[in-house]
Amino acid sequence: MTQTSGKRLTMHQKQNLWGWAFLIPATVLIFWLSFYPMIRALMISFQGGRPTALTWSDPLTRNYKFLVKDRVFIQSLKNTFTYLIIQVPIMLVLAMIFATLLNDHQLKFKGLFRTCIFLPCATALVAYSLIFRTMFSYDGMVNAVLVKIGILNEPINWLNNPNTAKAVIIIALIWRWTGYNMIFYLSSMQSIDYSVYEAARIDGAGAATQLFKITIPLLKPIILVTAIMSTNGTLQLFDESVNLTKGGPANATITMSHYIYNTMFQNNPNFGYAAAMSFVILILVAVLSAIQMKVGDKRE
Amino acid sequence: MKKLISLLLALVMVLSLGSAAFAAPGDQADGKLTIWCWDQTFNIAAMNVAKEMYQAEHPDVEIDIQEVLWEDIESRIIASNGDTSTLPDITLIQDNAFQKEVINYPEVFYDITDSYDFTDFGEAKVAYSVVDGKNYGIPFDAGTVVAAWRTDYLEEAGYTVDDLTDIDMDRFLEIARDVKEKTGMPMLSGEAGAVDTVLILLQSCGGSMFNEDGSVNMKDNDKLKAVLDVYNTMVTEGLFIEVNSWDEYIGTLSNQSVVGTFTGCWILSTIMSLTDQAGKWAVTNMPAMTGVEDATNYSNNGGSSWAIINNKDIDLALDFMQMYRNVDFYDAILPTTSAIACFTPAKDAPNYTAPSEFFNGDAIFAKIVEFGALVPSNNTGAYYYDARSALATAKTNIIGGADMDSELANAEDTINFTMGF
Repeated sequence: MTQTSGKRLTMHQKQNLWGWAFLIPATVLIFWLSFYPMIRALMISFQGGRPTALTWSDPLTRNYKFLVKDRVFIQSLKNTFTYLIIQVPIMLVLAMIFATLLNDHQLKFKGLFRTCIFLPCATALVAYSLIFRTMFSYDGMVNAVLVKIGILNEPINWLNNPNTAKAVIIIALIWRWTGYNMIFYLSSMQSIDYSVYEAARIDGAGAATQLFKITIPLLKPIILVTAIMSTNGTLQLFDESVNLTKGGPANATITMSHYIYNTMFQNNPNFGYAAAMSFVILILVAVLSAIQMKVGDKRE
Repeated sequence: MKKLISLLLALVMVLSLGSAAFAAPGDQADGKLTIWCWDQTFNIAAMNVAKEMYQAEHPDVEIDIQEVLWEDIESRIIASNGDTSTLPDITLIQDNAFQKEVINYPEVFYDITDSYDFTDFGEAKVAYSVVDGKNYGIPFDAGTVVAAWRTDYLEEAGYTVDDLTDIDMDRFLEIARDVKEKTGMPMLSGEAGAVDTVLILLQSCGGSMFNEDGSVNMKDNDKLKAVLDVYNTMVTEGLFIEVNSWDEYIGTLSNQSVVGTFTGCWILSTIMSLTDQAGKWAVTNMPAMTGVEDATNYSNNGGSSWAIINNKDIDLALDFMQMYRNVDFYDAILPTTSAIACFTPAKDAPNYTAPSEFFNGDAIFAKIVEFGALVPSNNTGAYYYDARSALATAKTNIIGGADMDSELANAEDTINFTMGF
């Protein structure tokens, strides 16, 4: 603070006041529509009973204790982590490969390729899930093509087998989200000065060395961001499970969010239990993000 | 001045955001009825006829029929959290979900036990909307099960529809195997993740997933085991084709890749829309389970009832709903909707006894009303849908080769777990 004159201070205060005035509407809305529901949900997660007559659970952590014994919840947890462990690495590696290819200065029709790879991201989640369901149905396009070119002897009922149904969801997720992550990589690659690569070439670095020694280290913060976002997104996966497979066969593809939805809207509504489950997801996202930040953030 | 205007604008925006969230359609006793239902060709069409007939006598009553999907009606009841200001005066509710809604949201539903006359409605049907001895629903359509078969395919294998009438499951499987061998066609199809067929067969012998007292009845349910056995046999022998979605199931009928189906009679409006197949279908009753106590050739699948919402224009709604005790009304809606009445006197109405051209002059509607009177009742309760999904999981695993007893025990545990809250 260097201002000493009384008049300038009032001016400063006045500006400050206006600043706060402009912030208030947004702040109020965020508190009302975001923080208040979060706090309410936390309270409800300790309650039980009929939705319009919720009472505090006895003991308070009753809902959370039930979770450990809930077979369907554990199944949904396993499914979600299967998606996470298989899909996120494949998707991020693919996104990195596409970004590197599209960042090539000699490549023609760059705009066209970029649009093609990014376009899936512009499709609605429900719409693309339904299209994948049609493509992978018993008499669908995928079976027809695979049988015609001789890879399969007879059609597979993709969505009615636990493993292939999971595979279809993973394929769908990769198709939908690779382009999205690629855009992040591409934009930060473009901010790396091209002369760095020229210098590296003069020093005799090949394409692979350039990728691993220059591009990836410089992209580390953005890789961290995409990894956290993808983890977060996968843990909250809902549309694909609901629309592509309905969680079936026999809950083999149900996700945690889908099970929460069923608990609230399909089965006998149990608000407290559903809220407790959503807080478990929150904790998982927080823990996984913390681990990723710890592992990924090594700049000194 | 400018600042003041911008501040006012911001204030207006915030306020309008707030008030939009609290805006409510309709009010108490305003002489206007809002109605929610979900099928343009079926219950909406029926309500439109009721509206026309009612307004002919009460021209100043405004009736607004809105198309809201069942899933959305359910979410909106949940979102209302007991405050009926965002709900309509009358809404349609799936029979299987009725008790669940009333038990969880007693504030929302008006008790019509003393204000509506339930004589002449099928008893089993009315029971779906009774909670603690109180009536909450006015019956609409019956889900009486019919078996619809393609006569041309049966003929190819040397059978007529009479061979499939009043038969038991052993005979049915015999015919199904023979038909499959001679024509290569499966008899039936259905959704892999659903348990409709299993529950239809279970109810046909008076069985339920629940006991009278509301407790789960799965692992020691011999009827259920017999049904799952039959279902498993049909699927493994290729007599019943499992598909992944409802659209694919309808597809098997329209693409002519199955001989027929047995399910709720509402399927007939779909079959009758396949005009190129007119004259090739026949309707009869379903096969009865063999060697199971109380087995019949009759069952129920689906159906819905009307609920009157609390704190709305209840007197007007009740007066309007007298239409559902009116034979002329049922007669008028039948040709366009093929909604089968649960109001017994309707069966003598002219359209019910009229022959159906699509089904080669068979008076199918009178037949279905006759079937309806013979359907055994079953128990639903608040946890019906939990039980359905647990049973679906068990069924899928059993077809995958898992042991039936342990799967049913698992399913029972799953439901008991939810009920333990």
